[in-house]
Amino acid sequence: MRALCWEGVNDLRVQTVPDPEIVNPHDVILRITMSTTCGSDLHFIDGYVPSMLPGDVIGHEFMGVVEDAGSEVKKVKKGDRVVVPSFVACGDCWYCQHDLYSLCDNTNPNAEVQAPLLGYPTGACFGYTHAFGGYAGSHAQYMRVPHADVGCFQVPEGLRDEQVLFLSDAAPTGYMGADFCDIQPGDIVAVWGCGGVGLMAQQSALLLGAERVIAIDRFPERLKMARDHIGSETINYAETPDVLAILHEMTGGRGPDACIDAVGMEAHGTGPGYLYDKAMQTLRLVTDRGQALRQAIMAVRKGGTLSVLGVYGVMDKFPIGVIMNKGLTVRSAQQHGQHYLPRLLEHAVKGELDPSYLATHRFSLEDGPRAYQMFKNKEDGLVRAVFTP
Amino acid sequence: MDVGSPLGGPATSGIADALKGALPGGTGKASQEQRRVTLILGGVLLTLGLRRVSFGGAALALAGGALLYRELSRQSGQAGAETHMAEVTRSITIGKSAAELYRFWREGGHLPRVMGHFAEITETDMDQAHWTVRVPGGRSLSWDTRVVESRPGELVSWQSLPGTELPNRGEVHFRPAPGDRGTEVTLRLHFQPPGGTLGAAAARALNGLVPSLLVGDALRRFKSLVETGEIPTLDRNPSARASTA
Repeated sequence: MRALCWEGVNDLRVQTVPDPEIVNPHDVILRITMSTTCGSDLHFIDGYVPSMLPGDVIGHEFMGVVEDAGSEVKKVKKGDRVVVPSFVACGDCWYCQHDLYSLCDNTNPNAEVQAPLLGYPTGACFGYTHAFGGYAGSHAQYMRVPHADVGCFQVPEGLRDEQVLFLSDAAPTGYMGADFCDIQPGDIVAVWGCGGVGLMAQQSALLLGAERVIAIDRFPERLKMARDHIGSETINYAETPDVLAILHEMTGGRGPDACIDAVGMEAHGTGPGYLYDKAMQTLRLVTDRGQALRQAIMAVRKGGTLSVLGVYGVMDKFPIGVIMNKGLTVRSAQQHGQHYLPRLLEHAVKGELDPSYLATHRFSLEDGPRAYQMFKNKEDGLVRAVFTP
Repeated sequence: MDVGSPLGGPATSGIADALKGALPGGTGKASQEQRRVTLILGGVLLTLGLRRVSFGGAALALAGGALLYRELSRQSGQAGAETHMAEVTRSITIGKSAAELYRFWREGGHLPRVMGHFAEITETDMDQAHWTVRVPGGRSLSWDTRVVESRPGELVSWQSLPGTELPNRGEVHFRPAPGDRGTEVTLRLHFQPPGGTLGAAAARALNGLVPSLLVGDALRRFKSLVETGEIPTLDRNPSARASTA
């Protein structure tokens, strides 16, 4: 089959690779119908996140049709149209049984290698680094999905592929970020980042009862999307001298009740703080540019919640004193998609959630390298590149 | 190949080749040779690790560095004389009762799969098993073990029968965990000072590098098999690498 492979830093190629096979009894083979780019792919494409191997098939946000099923697969069957979260979860371990699916104990074949990085290993993510399992990803014609009964969710009739695709990763991640904020009536939620996850976090905050949502980004077309599709109020930080002062005034001097970081390690920013981050990262002294995160920590009201969805590595200058003195609650995770998907599909069926507008550009799989180039540089207003293999 | 193995990926052949070159051919000052092998192995790992700017590389570099440090920090006159026994102990919590886990370990016939990442095991009966382990340089070591103690719901311990180049023993303990968390399982493997140069090199390699990962992997494989009925694997994982064709 054809697949988009990582061959080195900033070197993606479409190649012919062996077809996936059923290996374990709970596996299915999925024929991919749609797959999309995610900001967290950029971390290993740019070489900031290690443990990719040349030849790895990438991609972790996808949907497809079940082509073949292992002997122990009970709930899904050949021909089912399904959407699958990007983290692989077994459904049986303590973490899965407590709805902490991305922390699954039983799906990462490289758990022992990852553990020294984090203390204890996480579950595996499709099409990501070998520390996160090393499973082949979705930018391919077919893929193997382990623990299919836990990971595959049937798509209800009447929903188009574009409406469902982002329920694989961007929507559950954003929804989880808003869920972490424990939103109360009257709450104002600020979200840094208007990419797929940021926009989904904004929409989810409103679905979960937020009074107002404020979005912060620097791309006018993304901010327009936040206003037009969601109803967020927006701040373009590239055009304003002081985001904190603006947030202060917009919230009557209280600050947002919750702040969501949907940006992560390659944050852009302005001023000397950003130059410092960029220099340190270029020298590989740190993996992260933490400006968005630090700003969110400063902006959130006293006793409020900081919800971190952005992918981070090892950061210096982390303002723990601000968190401590302001009595903040910090919550974070890779997406627990299996917990949120039933709810999200319900919202989609009722017409309350339609992320199809994220699919700004379509490509064939063969155009994968060019699509990622455009995605990375946000050319032509590209928010998400969608592949239809 | 299973790139999930601790030293999997492109580095494995490099290490094997380096060892092949480094392993002494005949007899001689065994302790000197052992020291040399360890130093070379440590240096190779460190170099390979530092050359590969990757997570695996960092792990290799750390392992290599540790091996070098250990060897260089010995008094040179004592090199090889004090061959520490390698003993590794690791624990994991599994969401089943101690009685179930004991039965699974003892009677399930699952050990060949649980240990399959580093040893081929043939269970001749409930108490005896034949182990074969491939060591760097394309050679293998094998031995037979016999269960020497077993207490239902508590522990199983075994040891190798005389006549192997790498005498070893192991034990697994089961202890109820608090709340709804299942059972705390502790696995301990113990390799004794080897005879013969190959055995020495193998034991050193095991001692410095593999055992902690190896024992940790064995426990995780056991846990996954018991909790989910399968072991996570990258077997036949599609990629554009030659080795997975």
